[in-house]
Amino acid sequence: MAFEPREPQKELKYQDLRIYSDQELKNYTEEELKNFKIKHKTPMCDELEKGPWPSFVADTKREALHRKKLSGDRLMVNSDVAEDLLGQLERSFKDGETHWKHGGIVGVFGYGGGVIGRYSDSPEEYPSIAHFHTLRVNQPASKFYSSDYLRSICDLWEYRGSGLMNLHGSTGDIIFLGTTTEQLEPIFYELGHVLQQDLGGSGSNLRTPSCCIGRARCEWSCYDTQAMCYELTHYYQDELHRPAFPYKFKFKFDGCPNCCVASIARADMSFIGTWRDNIRIDQDAVKAYVEGDIAPNAGAHAGKDWGKFDIQKEVIDLCPTRCMWMEDGKLMIDDKECTRCMHCINVMPRALRPGADTGVSILFGAKAPILEGAQMSLLTIPFMKVEHPYDNVKAIVDKCWDWWMEEGKNRERLGELIQRYGVPKFLEIMELPPMPQMVREPRSNPYIFWKEEDVPGGFTRSIDDYRKRHKR
Amino acid sequence: MEDIKKAILDFAETSKKTKFYFNDMEKAVKKVMPDIKAREIKKAATALVNEEKLVFFSTGSTTMYGMKGRGQTEDH
Ligand code: SF4
Ligand code: SF4
Repeated sequence: MAFEPREPQKELKYQDLRIYSDQELKNYTEEELKNFKIKHKTPMCDELEKGPWPSFVADTKREALHRKKLSGDRLMVNSDVAEDLLGQLERSFKDGETHWKHGGIVGVFGYGGGVIGRYSDSPEEYPSIAHFHTLRVNQPASKFYSSDYLRSICDLWEYRGSGLMNLHGSTGDIIFLGTTTEQLEPIFYELGHVLQQDLGGSGSNLRTPSCCIGRARCEWSCYDTQAMCYELTHYYQDELHRPAFPYKFKFKFDGCPNCCVASIARADMSFIGTWRDNIRIDQDAVKAYVEGDIAPNAGAHAGKDWGKFDIQKEVIDLCPTRCMWMEDGKLMIDDKECTRCMHCINVMPRALRPGADTGVSILFGAKAPILEGAQMSLLTIPFMKVEHPYDNVKAIVDKCWDWWMEEGKNRERLGELIQRYGVPKFLEIMELPPMPQMVREPRSNPYIFWKEEDVPGGFTRSIDDYRKRHKR
Repeated sequence: MEDIKKAILDFAETSKKTKFYFNDMEKAVKKVMPDIKAREIKKAATALVNEEKLVFFSTGSTTMYGMKGRGQTEDH
């Protein structure tokens, strides 16, 4: 069953939603900024303003000046919140330890995620960040925003929060950094009812699903990453907002093995676009690359002279499975040996394209290094066709969650559970037959053990019949 | 539903820790009602949160449940 919105989305117009006037938004000069000093001394933070790159310290000071010049009734959170933030950061640098107290009961009505409680442990020195709660705002698929939308949420957050935000957190959400407990419900109301915007996931929830830019701009996308991300986000609303998992769980959607959202390294369930037919080759374009008429890598890395393009050295010899060669001036590929690494396609995008029979590979269990070290996800379903409303995918998700919720220990990620029970047990739960493509480390660990009931006659059968055909 | 809620509250009132994982709550309920599904327990817990009897406690990475008014309060 597909998700149906209860009412159509309205178009947002900043003119109708804005809180601040143009004068209020541009309320200081660069000259004033140069002379502006925040109320705390922050020599170590100031070091981070040096150098040619952007600096969050410089940005935070701008915000501090901007807020200082807005009148008090135009802000619901203290105007010097950004100054206290830098003050406490300086102190943490000096002490070599954090001064945040982590976690709390704060939340918004009916939701178990999306709000993360933060409190300063030194509220006497830094009173404006005594409460400094974070909100996660669920980004739209592929992070397409209109400027009307961005301006509107910036105004909302200036008014009801610290004005400081982080685009984007590692799960993709917009992170609102720092507000007080009283402001949480009003922000939640404004986001949901006016800006038609949900919170993202945090805690032992499904985390905000995220996807690569996919078919919106990328010719390599083997399925519609945005449609799938959108559908699963809505379908699993309860899991996103009301925690009942042993720990966090992430879905990430990459349109091809280039893995732009790094699903293979970060998601408990990674969806990676792939194809099962052959790489499509345009031999004329191959020739044009060889003759130097088309720049390799679509012109990237052009800052240095790498010499003439050498297809043997730069493509064929770098193919990880050595399945390419030249024959009579033509590029040949033994597609059944190709692991879909994308290297040759990335180098010669006008000559080579992914196949036309496309779908996804599904992998399970990636995670960051907290327990047992970092882990990439395990290729479990080499190929599956996916079409809206993705019922075949949902069936797999449900099976996997049922097992993890039943057997997972507190704070145990799916990848650790698979490690604890072993891959054969996981495959049994998922009702999948083992196959060569799915072993953890291809070509180094091929062992899948037989169970007695899988062997005709069991382990104790007589081998006389076998011996008749095979002498000792 | 009501009997699951009651089992949850019994556990929440008497548990040694004032904050507990869903898993622990699930086990406690299953002791009294062995055939109940995790999803049913979750529904009951959500209802109790909406009735403001249970609260969520979140560190950002993990979420736990607690009984409103027992242990840590909203403003520390
Ligand atoms: S993962 Fe592949 S399909 Fe998605 S944006 Fe990157 S290159 Fe394109
Ligand atoms: S995609 Fe990778 S493995 Fe496949 S042919 Fe190209 S370089 Fe070789």
